[in-house]
Amino acid sequence: MSRTLPLPRWTRALKAGSRRHPRLTFALLAALAAAIALWTLTRPGMPLGPIDLTWHRMQVNKDFYVGIDPSYPPFAEWTPDAIVGIEPDIARELGARMGVETSILIMGYDGLYDALYTGEVDLILAGLRADPLYAEWVHYSPPYFDAGQVLVSRADAPYKTMDALNGKWLAVEIASAGDQAAQRWQRRLNALYIRRVMLPEEALAAVEAGEVDAALVDTISAREYLQGHPGLVRAAETTAPDEYAIAMRDANYRLIDAVEKALAEMRADGTLNAIIERWLGPSAPAQGESDAPS
Amino acid sequence: MNSSARALSHHLTHRLARAAPGLAHFGVLMFVVASLIPAPPRITLDPPQIVITNNPAICVHTRLTDEVEEWKIQRTLAMVREMGAPTIVEYFPWPYVDRGEGRYDWGYADRIIRHAENQGLRVIARLGLVPAWARPPAEERVTSLTYLTEDTFDEFAAFVGAFVARYQGRVQDVIIWNEPNLSLEWGGRAPDPEAYAELLRVSYAAAHAANPDVRVLGGALAPTLETSGSAMSDLAFLERLYEASAAQSWDALAAHTYGFTAPPDEQPDPDTINFRRVELLREIMVRHGDADTPIVITESGWSDDPRWTNAVRPGQRIAYTLDAFEQAAAWPWVEAACIWNFRIPADQANRRDAYFSLVSSDFVRKPIYEAIQAYARGWESPYTP
Repeated sequence: MSRTLPLPRWTRALKAGSRRHPRLTFALLAALAAAIALWTLTRPGMPLGPIDLTWHRMQVNKDFYVGIDPSYPPFAEWTPDAIVGIEPDIARELGARMGVETSILIMGYDGLYDALYTGEVDLILAGLRADPLYAEWVHYSPPYFDAGQVLVSRADAPYKTMDALNGKWLAVEIASAGDQAAQRWQRRLNALYIRRVMLPEEALAAVEAGEVDAALVDTISAREYLQGHPGLVRAAETTAPDEYAIAMRDANYRLIDAVEKALAEMRADGTLNAIIERWLGPSAPAQGESDAPS
Repeated sequence: MNSSARALSHHLTHRLARAAPGLAHFGVLMFVVASLIPAPPRITLDPPQIVITNNPAICVHTRLTDEVEEWKIQRTLAMVREMGAPTIVEYFPWPYVDRGEGRYDWGYADRIIRHAENQGLRVIARLGLVPAWARPPAEERVTSLTYLTEDTFDEFAAFVGAFVARYQGRVQDVIIWNEPNLSLEWGGRAPDPEAYAELLRVSYAAAHAANPDVRVLGGALAPTLETSGSAMSDLAFLERLYEASAAQSWDALAAHTYGFTAPPDEQPDPDTINFRRVELLREIMVRHGDADTPIVITESGWSDDPRWTNAVRPGQRIAYTLDAFEQAAAWPWVEAACIWNFRIPADQANRRDAYFSLVSSDFVRKPIYEAIQAYARGWESPYTP
């Protein structure tokens, strides 16, 4: 013999009410359905949704304005002939993939967000990190470069992670993000011996000379140094990331979609890496599989 | 009282009696809700502090102008004192205190001075900017906050005099204006040394009328090689100031000297911007018979912005800054060397100023802060090769 639990009081009241007022019930359900349909149709990208005016202008005029601060070669540099570097090349490639002509607007670093806010540029590409201060109106793309601190060790004694350095010597650039990361790891491990030097090149030279087991330096310095020093390898992942992203206005949802799609394609087909290698030199193979020596 | 009035009175009394328990409940509820709202932090002054330092020339330019919360002002100044800097430069813009027609609201300035005094810090006050009423109406001409015309110099001077009078015995040094050799700081107009000399003259008179012991600092010129409508070389501007007899209108010269990528011992050269460029300013002063006037370096420093060609590596920044303090202490004609900047109110990691600061906006000490602190207090430096 089975017993059914009694329905809660409010559902019984609702049932009784709908039986007593069928027209009112129908009207309420219809209003609810209309509200859901209206909400759905007015979302960004739907037929009644907001118009991305920037994207609309780009489609009509076939133009595309990118703000760049040319004070940081090889990412962006102002030569007598042109604005050159990794970021101008990425901007031009994005424009080509979106079918529009890229115009690069040079501006000081401190004026970039103002230019984006006022609509002077469609996006900014200047080694920006995602900044919560602008979260209300800025959308950041996935990173196009990670300039963070990376572990470099000898190829015959490679280390891929910091936790493998227990009891070892690590060289860092004094007061750098690598130095601060090393101090955190020093508190985590039983023993980590830190050797501080003035420049990242000195830290890498110390690894090469066998004076220390590894160095924790920024990715750009590591890439540049490793080109002429095949005896060294860098870890595949950064220990302390420092990711550069493209900043766009949050309202430009169609432009955001198009840029992120183009960026993903550039990453997948090797174009992004080719641009970076054009300016930073070929990347020495990163090691990530081999275990640390005992 | 007639019968209808009696009836109304009775009715109202009856209604009030019925509503009383509800009103009492509502009052209790409001009291509970109000007591759940967190109280603002109660700011009380610490016992008076003193600065312990091995180098009294260490100074920082604080950036409390746009700091809203008082506890942050107190914390910032406590960290300055803990670092071992006995002097700060702080900005007191005229529009922030001006209420028109010669009336001022000093609340904002008072709390900074009060906390600085409490921490044992000497304040050098930088005065500048222009309220809207002292500029042409926007319909006539769009102007910036640095647009000051000669017909309102007297009003600015009145503000200088009022400031000096209010803080007599508490603020001994005032800087008149900032970087007038840049168009950006001169209301978008071409730099005009003679006009600035006149501004100095009226400000000096007003300041000394308010307090004969005050020191007026002039200059505060931006180090630049540019000669255009946008900027004038600091050396050329200073020459023109002497030609305009501006030296009679200052008690000390404020100097800005940035190192950019050069170490502090790099030779001075009129075609180079480096730390020792201040020696070229000094040469001009000596040439004009003004050798007894001291120099206060009110802005200096190096940036360790990883994305700027004019920046240095973090370790170089520490070494250069400490060497610069040593250098400043060795120059008998320099009173203090102030680092731009100690901390900025909003953490703007993408802004240049963030990489000049010693402490992050959420009060995290950067390695350079710890290195300066160790140097000033005679501790072992945590950042030595």
